Amino acid sequence: MSILVGKEAPDFEASGLLDGKFGKFKLSDYRGKWVVLCFYPGDFTFV
Amino acid sequence: MKELGVEVLSFSVDSVHSHKVWQETELSKMVDGGVAFPMLSDGGGKIGEQYGVYNGAVDVRGRFIIDPEGVIQAMEVLTPPVGRNPDELIRQIKAYQHQQATGEVMPSGWQPGDPTLKPTDDLTGHVWEVWKP
Repeated sequence: MSILVGKEAPDFEASGLLDGKFGKFKLSDYRGKWVVLCFYPGDFTFV
Repeated sequence: MKELGVEVLSFSVDSVHSHKVWQETELSKMVDGGVAFPMLSDGGGKIGEQYGVYNGAVDVRGRFIIDPEGVIQAMEVLTPPVGRNPDELIRQIKAYQHQQATGEVMPSGWQPGDPTLKPTDDLTGHVWEVWKP
Protein backbone atom coordinates (compact mmCIF):
# COMPACT_ATOMS: atom_id res chain seq x y z
CA MET A 1 0.00 0.00 0.00
CA SER A 2 1.32 3.44 -0.92
CA ILE A 3 1.29 6.62 1.16
CA LEU A 4 -2.16 8.11 1.81
CA VAL A 5 -1.36 11.54 3.28
CA GLY A 6 -1.37 14.34 0.73
CA LYS A 7 -3.66 12.30 -1.53
CA GLU A 8 -7.36 12.62 -2.17
CA ALA A 9 -9.36 10.63 0.39
CA PRO A 10 -11.11 7.60 -1.15
CA ASP A 11 -14.83 8.32 -1.44
CA PHE A 12 -17.36 5.92 0.08
CA GLU A 13 -21.04 5.52 0.76
CA ALA A 14 -22.21 3.69 3.87
CA SER A 15 -25.26 3.18 6.06
CA GLY A 16 -25.09 4.91 9.38
CA LEU A 17 -26.87 5.94 12.53
CA LEU A 18 -27.40 9.60 13.45
CA ASP A 19 -29.82 10.95 16.06
CA GLY A 20 -31.46 7.52 16.37
CA LYS A 21 -32.21 7.33 12.63
CA PHE A 22 -30.61 5.26 9.89
CA GLY A 23 -29.36 6.96 6.72
CA LYS A 24 -26.79 6.91 3.92
CA PHE A 25 -23.59 8.89 4.27
CA LYS A 26 -21.08 9.79 1.53
CA LEU A 27 -17.70 11.38 2.06
CA SER A 28 -18.23 13.57 -1.03
CA ASP A 29 -21.23 15.18 0.72
CA TYR A 30 -18.73 16.70 3.16
CA ARG A 31 -16.62 18.53 0.56
CA GLY A 32 -15.81 22.04 1.81
CA LYS A 33 -15.59 20.89 5.43
CA TRP A 34 -12.90 19.47 7.66
CA VAL A 35 -13.65 15.81 8.35
CA VAL A 36 -12.24 13.29 10.81
CA LEU A 37 -12.71 9.60 10.03
CA CYS A 38 -12.42 7.35 13.03
CA PHE A 39 -12.19 3.56 12.62
CA TYR A 40 -12.45 1.25 15.66
CA PRO A 41 -12.49 -2.53 16.10
CA GLY A 42 -15.97 -3.03 17.46
CA ASP A 43 -19.01 -1.69 19.27
CA PHE A 44 -18.91 -2.07 23.06
CA THR A 45 -15.15 -1.49 23.13
CA PHE A 46 -13.37 1.72 24.08
CA VAL A 47 -12.83 4.07 21.15
CA MET B 1 -14.86 19.32 17.21
CA LYS B 2 -17.93 21.52 16.70
CA GLU B 3 -16.00 24.71 17.57
CA LEU B 4 -13.32 23.76 15.05
CA GLY B 5 -15.95 23.23 12.34
CA VAL B 6 -14.99 19.57 12.02
CA GLU B 7 -17.38 16.79 11.06
CA VAL B 8 -16.69 13.39 12.61
CA LEU B 9 -17.65 10.05 11.06
CA SER B 10 -16.97 6.78 12.88
CA PHE B 11 -16.70 3.28 11.41
CA SER B 12 -16.68 -0.30 12.54
CA VAL B 13 -17.60 -3.51 10.77
CA ASP B 14 -20.68 -3.81 13.03
CA SER B 15 -24.18 -3.30 11.65
CA VAL B 16 -26.09 -0.06 12.13
CA HIS B 17 -28.42 -2.06 14.41
CA SER B 18 -25.49 -2.94 16.66
CA HIS B 19 -24.51 0.77 16.67
CA LYS B 20 -28.05 1.62 17.75
CA VAL B 21 -28.05 -0.87 20.64
CA TRP B 22 -24.60 0.34 21.75
CA GLN B 23 -25.74 3.96 21.54
CA GLU B 24 -28.90 3.24 23.55
CA THR B 25 -27.43 0.91 26.19
CA GLU B 26 -23.99 2.38 26.83
CA LEU B 27 -22.96 5.50 24.91
CA SER B 28 -26.01 7.48 25.97
CA LYS B 29 -24.93 6.88 29.58
CA MET B 30 -21.46 8.26 28.85
CA VAL B 31 -22.47 11.24 26.69
CA ASP B 32 -25.68 13.14 27.27
CA GLY B 33 -27.98 12.30 24.35
CA GLY B 34 -25.48 9.79 22.90
CA VAL B 35 -22.75 10.53 20.39
CA ALA B 36 -23.66 13.40 18.07
CA PHE B 37 -21.86 12.20 14.94
CA PRO B 38 -22.86 9.57 12.34
CA MET B 39 -21.79 6.03 13.24
CA LEU B 40 -21.31 4.17 9.98
CA SER B 41 -21.34 0.46 9.26
CA ASP B 42 -18.33 -0.77 7.31
CA GLY B 43 -19.63 -4.25 6.57
CA GLY B 44 -16.86 -6.52 5.33
CA GLY B 45 -14.29 -3.78 5.98
CA LYS B 46 -14.58 -2.41 2.42
CA ILE B 47 -13.97 1.18 3.48
CA GLY B 48 -11.28 0.18 5.97
CA GLU B 49 -9.57 -1.70 3.14
CA GLN B 50 -9.42 1.50 1.06
CA TYR B 51 -7.82 3.34 3.99
CA GLY B 52 -5.43 0.52 4.90
CA VAL B 53 -6.91 -0.19 8.34
CA TYR B 54 -8.87 -3.43 7.76
CA ASN B 55 -7.00 -6.44 9.15
CA GLY B 56 -9.22 -9.13 7.61
CA ALA B 57 -11.56 -9.28 10.60
CA VAL B 58 -12.07 -5.74 11.95
CA ASP B 59 -11.05 -2.14 11.32
CA VAL B 60 -8.13 -1.28 13.62
CA ARG B 61 -7.92 2.15 15.28
CA GLY B 62 -7.31 4.38 12.27
CA ARG B 63 -7.91 8.12 12.32
CA PHE B 64 -7.70 10.46 9.32
CA ILE B 65 -7.89 14.26 9.06
CA ILE B 66 -9.36 15.31 5.69
CA ASP B 67 -9.26 18.96 4.60
CA PRO B 68 -12.06 20.88 2.81
CA GLU B 69 -10.53 19.95 -0.57
CA GLY B 70 -10.92 16.26 0.28
CA VAL B 71 -7.19 15.66 0.82
CA ILE B 72 -5.94 13.44 3.67
CA GLN B 73 -3.57 15.64 5.72
CA ALA B 74 -2.84 13.35 8.66
CA MET B 75 -3.42 9.83 9.86
CA GLU B 76 -2.74 7.71 12.91
CA VAL B 77 -3.24 3.95 13.08
CA LEU B 78 -3.09 1.97 16.31
CA THR B 79 -3.57 -1.73 17.02
CA PRO B 80 -6.68 -2.39 19.12
CA PRO B 81 -5.30 -2.53 22.71
CA VAL B 82 -4.48 1.18 23.04
CA GLY B 83 -6.95 4.05 22.76
CA ARG B 84 -6.27 7.38 21.09
CA ASN B 85 -5.39 10.82 22.45
CA PRO B 86 -8.07 13.36 21.46
CA ASP B 87 -5.79 16.25 22.54
CA GLU B 88 -3.29 15.30 19.84
CA LEU B 89 -6.07 15.10 17.25
CA ILE B 90 -7.25 18.60 18.19
CA ARG B 91 -3.67 19.94 18.11
CA GLN B 92 -3.15 18.57 14.60
CA ILE B 93 -6.47 19.98 13.33
CA LYS B 94 -5.63 23.43 14.74
CA ALA B 95 -2.16 23.26 13.16
CA TYR B 96 -3.49 22.32 9.70
CA GLN B 97 -6.25 24.93 9.88
CA HIS B 98 -3.68 27.57 10.86
CA GLN B 99 -1.38 26.48 8.03
CA GLN B 100 -4.12 26.68 5.42
CA ALA B 101 -5.28 30.08 6.69
CA THR B 102 -1.83 31.70 6.91
CA GLY B 103 0.70 29.63 4.95
CA GLU B 104 2.78 29.41 8.12
CA VAL B 105 4.21 26.10 9.30
CA MET B 106 4.29 24.58 12.76
CA PRO B 107 7.59 23.33 14.19
CA SER B 108 7.99 20.13 16.19
CA GLY B 109 6.06 20.14 19.46
CA TRP B 110 3.98 23.19 18.43
CA GLN B 111 0.94 23.92 20.57
CA PRO B 112 -1.82 26.41 19.68
CA GLY B 113 -0.59 29.90 20.57
CA ASP B 114 3.11 29.01 20.17
CA PRO B 115 5.23 30.84 17.57
CA THR B 116 5.01 29.51 14.01
CA LEU B 117 7.51 29.68 11.16
CA LYS B 118 7.07 31.53 7.88
CA PRO B 119 8.64 29.34 5.22
CA THR B 120 11.01 31.45 3.08
CA ASP B 121 14.35 30.80 1.39
CA ASP B 122 15.98 33.08 3.99
CA LEU B 123 14.87 30.74 6.76
CA THR B 124 17.04 27.88 5.53
CA GLY B 125 19.92 27.51 7.97
CA HIS B 126 18.45 30.23 10.23
CA VAL B 127 15.67 28.37 11.99
CA TRP B 128 17.85 28.40 15.14
CA GLU B 129 17.61 32.23 15.23
CA VAL B 130 13.84 32.40 15.28
CA TRP B 131 12.80 29.17 16.96
CA LYS B 132 14.07 28.44 20.46
CA PRO B 133 12.04 25.64 22.01
